[in-house]
Amino acid sequence: MKRIFVIKEKCTACLNCVVACQKSHAGSDFYAPIRDIEPGRIYIQAVGASPVPLVCMHCEEPACVKACITGAMRKDPDSGIVSNEFTPGKCVGCWMCVMACPYGVISPKAEHGKKMAIKCDLCMKRNGPACIESCPTGAIVYMEEAEFADYKQCLAAVNSI
Amino acid sequence: MPNCYGDCTTCTSSHASIQEMYLQTKELGIETTFDRYRNQLPQCGFGTEGVCCQLCSHGPCRITPKAPRAICGATADTIAARNLLRLEAHGLSAYCHQLEEAIHTLKATAQGKTPYAIREEGKLREIAGLVGLDDSKEKNALALDLAEVLTHELRKGTEEPLALVELLAPKARLQKWSGLGIIPGGPLSELRDALTMAMSNINTDPVSLLLTAMRLSIATGYMGLVATITLQDIILGNPQIGKTRADLGVLDLETVNIVAHGHVPYVAVAVLQEIAGNETLLEKARKAGASGIKLYGSMDTGQELLQRLGTAGQGFGGQLGNWLTQELMVATGAVDLVMMDLNCSIPGMKLAADKFHTRLVSVSHVLRMEGVTDNLDYKPEKVKEQAVQLIEMAIEAYQNRGKVNPVHIPPHQSEVIAGVGVESLLNILGGSLNPLLEVIKSGQIKGIAAVVGCTNNRNGHDSASLTLIKELLKRDILVITAGCVSSGAQIEGLQTLEANSLAGDKLQSICTALGIPPVLNFGSCIDIGRIGIAVTAIANTLGVDTSDLPVAASAPEYLEQKAVADGIFAVAFGLLTHLGPVPPVAGAPLVTKILTCDAEDLTGGKVSVEQDMVKAADIIEAHIQAKREKLGI
Repeated sequence: MKRIFVIKEKCTACLNCVVACQKSHAGSDFYAPIRDIEPGRIYIQAVGASPVPLVCMHCEEPACVKACITGAMRKDPDSGIVSNEFTPGKCVGCWMCVMACPYGVISPKAEHGKKMAIKCDLCMKRNGPACIESCPTGAIVYMEEAEFADYKQCLAAVNSI
Repeated sequence: MPNCYGDCTTCTSSHASIQEMYLQTKELGIETTFDRYRNQLPQCGFGTEGVCCQLCSHGPCRITPKAPRAICGATADTIAARNLLRLEAHGLSAYCHQLEEAIHTLKATAQGKTPYAIREEGKLREIAGLVGLDDSKEKNALALDLAEVLTHELRKGTEEPLALVELLAPKARLQKWSGLGIIPGGPLSELRDALTMAMSNINTDPVSLLLTAMRLSIATGYMGLVATITLQDIILGNPQIGKTRADLGVLDLETVNIVAHGHVPYVAVAVLQEIAGNETLLEKARKAGASGIKLYGSMDTGQELLQRLGTAGQGFGGQLGNWLTQELMVATGAVDLVMMDLNCSIPGMKLAADKFHTRLVSVSHVLRMEGVTDNLDYKPEKVKEQAVQLIEMAIEAYQNRGKVNPVHIPPHQSEVIAGVGVESLLNILGGSLNPLLEVIKSGQIKGIAAVVGCTNNRNGHDSASLTLIKELLKRDILVITAGCVSSGAQIEGLQTLEANSLAGDKLQSICTALGIPPVLNFGSCIDIGRIGIAVTAIANTLGVDTSDLPVAASAPEYLEQKAVADGIFAVAFGLLTHLGPVPPVAGAPLVTKILTCDAEDLTGGKVSVEQDMVKAADIIEAHIQAKREKLGI
């Protein structure tokens, strides 16, 4: 499956990906202030002055799915996408997935008193992830594993000269 | 302070009092700059490197390997140079505001409408004579003439060279500046042209934009700094050596406490006069349960007062701190009223004040803050009544002290020896610069470094400036401070005789012999102009250019736009100018090269952006050593 991969040296912390993610998951109100919409599903953390993008790996054996007490979180066998949005209404906001995820990429959200864990769904309702399109430096890419391995090799070769 | 995780230092301070108060704010649930900094991380690399342009609606455009030019075709260099010029224009604009207010105050004082007086008649006659006025006139009439001349200077066209530049700048400087075509005219006209150039697609040549930045900086130096200081001295008195105390521990539990925060001292001076002479107010304060009324300083307004402890600053209660201290001084709960003027009053201070009884009041018509409803905009003709009103408001507020949250004053404070200026320095030296020059020649003092400007918690509050100062002292380099750096140095006791133990053997022995601290306080950030005057005097005495002297400038924690204008002026003035954090030009290769390298061929000055303060001290020392060798001393 295609996944989001990170080349963190290229990240400049502009947060474009976070904004694009928020907007793509927030319906059609273009003029709503971003901060009011919802938290992003891709994260840029700072370690000292260096930005580090954090994205969901859509794991083969997802810890979040294992930890989910209601069966809301699933890995779709066809697309490989891990999400709790295949099962509307099932997520009760217990945050077990938030605790279990080794990559720290699931966030709690509370809206109108309804609690729900939110995470990257690879923009399944859209044609490809919005974050990838918004990145000005190529710090995040959307590729098949083999394709990314090849790309990494190219980068490593360029850097070695 | 507790470090949450990772290696960031943005919630740390070099001062024990601030560390203590930070814990107190955590306990009370008050969010401060120290917390909000963390929330803003990581910060966008395009803005940090100065290669984001938001001028037109095609943008924002960012420069990347994929997109080496903006939509209009502008390069990283055009964008960064234009952004830098815009920043600087903002700084000069605020300086012009301060000068205009000084001119207005001088006029009203000469007409007998203010509680101030012409205190330095000699200085008035000297500057008046210099600009071609009849200096034998009666002093008040002469002051009105001077106000007229300076108003004209401020407003005249760009094609008429500024009188103060031509009259005060060293000859060698004038030649260089004239060759580069950067002798400015009236600052307001210069601002108009610079901002016009910096509009989309008018001036897109990075070299021309940088030369314009130099031009603005010279207008900043001679009008924004020197002219304003001169007027403030005439009205409030020259700096005089005096002693006071600094740090939050100076706050008195028993008194009504007013803090003057900002840059412009006039209202604070009027408040000090009322405290000293208005028995009715004192009686009101006593009735409210206080033992008296005190006025303290914060930031540069405080520096202006503590430089004049014998004259306009008489009765000053002590200096609380600098920019990063403002929320924490309110969080002591012992401040009844903060009078805010001009720049550097942050919305965060209101958040802290909301947790206490503290009243925030604007005393400047340009300053407004959301949630602050008390605005007593300074009017020279009304300042006496305004001062009374402020004190009454403070007494009223005092009666609610401790009712919302508890009072907590950290016990730390330090002595401060302040009041250095050109005149008081000459006094110490016995009337001539020669003794200073002799000890520089002999190597007792290796050189002089002006460590000036703001405070910035990118590396932790005051950590860069204090590290740099201590490193320079070890290397026998005399340090001069101005601006928020001064408050940081004062709190750590660097402006005391005891601090001489931190200096190298040679510097230590000469400072001990003269009875001066190794870190001399030149005052507020506007007093950087005084350093310019002192350096000019040294250069003229030796018959050399400013760029030949064993001196350097550093703003190790620069924060805002006035500092940008000051920094560029230091380069134009021919000095090695060390800056931290790295100014937003690093994404523009040509601009970076011009500022850090090529500028030396043009003006003799250049920028260094070494962020390791020990290495920065090495660079400054090497520069000073090279200049010494060139002078043959």
